[in-house]
Amino acid sequence: MGVLLGFEGEATDAEVVRAVLAGDVERYAVLVRRYRDRYARYASRMLGSRDVAEDAVQDALVRAFDRLADCREPDKFAGWLFLILRNRCYAERRRRQRQERPLDSTDEMFAGPDRPDGAYEQVERAHALERALQHLTPEQREVFVLKHMEGLAYEEIAGVTGATVASLKMRMHRAYDRLRELMKEHL
Amino acid sequence: MMASYHPLVKRLLDGEVSLAELPPELQAEGEEALRLVGAANGAPVALSPALEERVMAAVRSHAASPGNRAWRWLNTPREVELRLRVRPWTVWAGALAVAAGLALLLVGRPASGPRPGNEARGGTRDSVFVRFVLYAPGARRVAVAGTFNQWDRSAAPLVPAGTSGVWTTTLALPVGQHQYAFVVDGARWVVDPAAPAVDDGFGRRNSVVAVTAQGAHL
Amino acid sequence: MRTIGLALTLVLGSTLTGALSAQDVRAQLDGRVSPEVQRAVRGIAADAAARGLPVDPLVQKAIEGAAKGVPADRVIAAVRTLAGRLGEAREAVRAGGVAAPSGDVVEGGADALNAGISPRQVSDLVRVSQPPQDPALTLRVAATLAALGVPPKQALELVQGMISAGRSPSDLLGLPGEVQAGVARGATPAQAAAGLARAAGGTPPGRIPDWVPPGQRKPRNPHKP
Repeated sequence: MGVLLGFEGEATDAEVVRAVLAGDVERYAVLVRRYRDRYARYASRMLGSRDVAEDAVQDALVRAFDRLADCREPDKFAGWLFLILRNRCYAERRRRQRQERPLDSTDEMFAGPDRPDGAYEQVERAHALERALQHLTPEQREVFVLKHMEGLAYEEIAGVTGATVASLKMRMHRAYDRLRELMKEHL
Repeated sequence: MMASYHPLVKRLLDGEVSLAELPPELQAEGEEALRLVGAANGAPVALSPALEERVMAAVRSHAASPGNRAWRWLNTPREVELRLRVRPWTVWAGALAVAAGLALLLVGRPASGPRPGNEARGGTRDSVFVRFVLYAPGARRVAVAGTFNQWDRSAAPLVPAGTSGVWTTTLALPVGQHQYAFVVDGARWVVDPAAPAVDDGFGRRNSVVAVTAQGAHL
Repeated sequence: MRTIGLALTLVLGSTLTGALSAQDVRAQLDGRVSPEVQRAVRGIAADAAARGLPVDPLVQKAIEGAAKGVPADRVIAAVRTLAGRLGEAREAVRAGGVAAPSGDVVEGGADALNAGISPRQVSDLVRVSQPPQDPALTLRVAATLAALGVPPKQALELVQGMISAGRSPSDLLGLPGEVQAGVARGATPAQAAAGLARAAGGTPPGRIPDWVPPGQRKPRNPHKP
């Protein structure tokens, strides 16, 4: 174990997963560091709050450890973890709806750099879009986030969500219209 | 009430056509739509650095807890390669595309139900790991209850693992014949769709699995 | 024979004699079923025990009913029905030539009856399930085949055919999986079973195979993989 200290940045996911499964629990920290922020943007956008997203990502990472023996293809750890996180986000959403807990303000997510040239409208529009996203259905929000923030193609989104490309496009097109309505003052 | 975007404008947003390809009367609408989508904040979101320590603290405590079945894999011989078999009419099997490392590749041949290992090795001499899988999209929680856990709905929850809608867990079952069923959302009892089903005496059905030292059988 | 005996012991599981004491019954039911159900089931169980029938399946059935939220009267009725079926099964097994069947064989018989196999068919199957076959296993396999939709008569023919062909208990255990694979390829359960029976290539069902003493081997059936 000591031999690989300092080289962990080069170990593949599969190697780390196998090491953890063989008993080297501390190596899991490599995967935590690697993936802590990678899905943060997705989780934040889906949940509308960075704090709630942080809880979701933390839970997903712990759950992924618990079920590591079920990860049948260690080199697909990234995708597997994503699916765990995705389910967690949906569950969190449903839990909040049942409890009627309003989502936190989305304003906290905008720790963007100051724009000295005064591109105020752009920042305002970005805020408006974030708020508007929370008014879409979870499925609409997800396809929008995955395509326009995470940069996935429809086929890739279909692979992740299990929906067909046709139904994804239908959701997306409804989302476009809904967003247009919600953001009309900012466009 | 704003009008819907023109279908061509939507295709513009999908990246299928360019702004230049839109007819003149749609240019303004196209530019507006691009402003909408362009507002998507693609900046990375950074979570608290303390998250790593919180996760590892939980991981260490889970790993050290010997009694909990969920982490038995840390202390017992490796479970064998389990073949996931897909029901022939399951829609998602076809829809699964291998996507840029984000999809889980599932291969197998038709059938479903408990997943036996042919060279199954048990955590103890007289129990065998058996994997239970249920395709239940839209479920909030899934558990398996049966004669091996006194029909306790909370004893053996399944977790999502795989593409959307697939739930799974692996249990160490003692040798012998067991009856079981899945419990969806705490209240709906569902038989394993392709395992043999027997009358439960209450107007419903139970699934059966026979576990021997050689493995699990239907 | 010793090795096979060990394997069979493992298959038999925990209810070798079904000898749950009254204390055990109470302990298992406590907190899991309502007082009304507990009272009734303890009575049914005591009666069954007195008749020498296995008690554990009755207790399990009561717990199952409670877990599924079934009303008390229906739970009690189901437990009573099960007790009756265990008695019927024991009679059928005895008629098949086993004078003092173990709890597991009786339970296997009850499973078979529950799956639609007749008492007469149970007796026939028990009769041909001589060592190295164990009637507890053969009955369970037949019951499982019937539960998969194979008509009882065909299920019996298939199992008996495999026994006649000298197939091992493990081969028999694999039958339900094979039937299911056939169904997945588009056959009906009956067709899948018929296909397997042909492949087993055994002698016509009903003929009692020669018992091979340990240390000697019967010539292998050429169709066996």
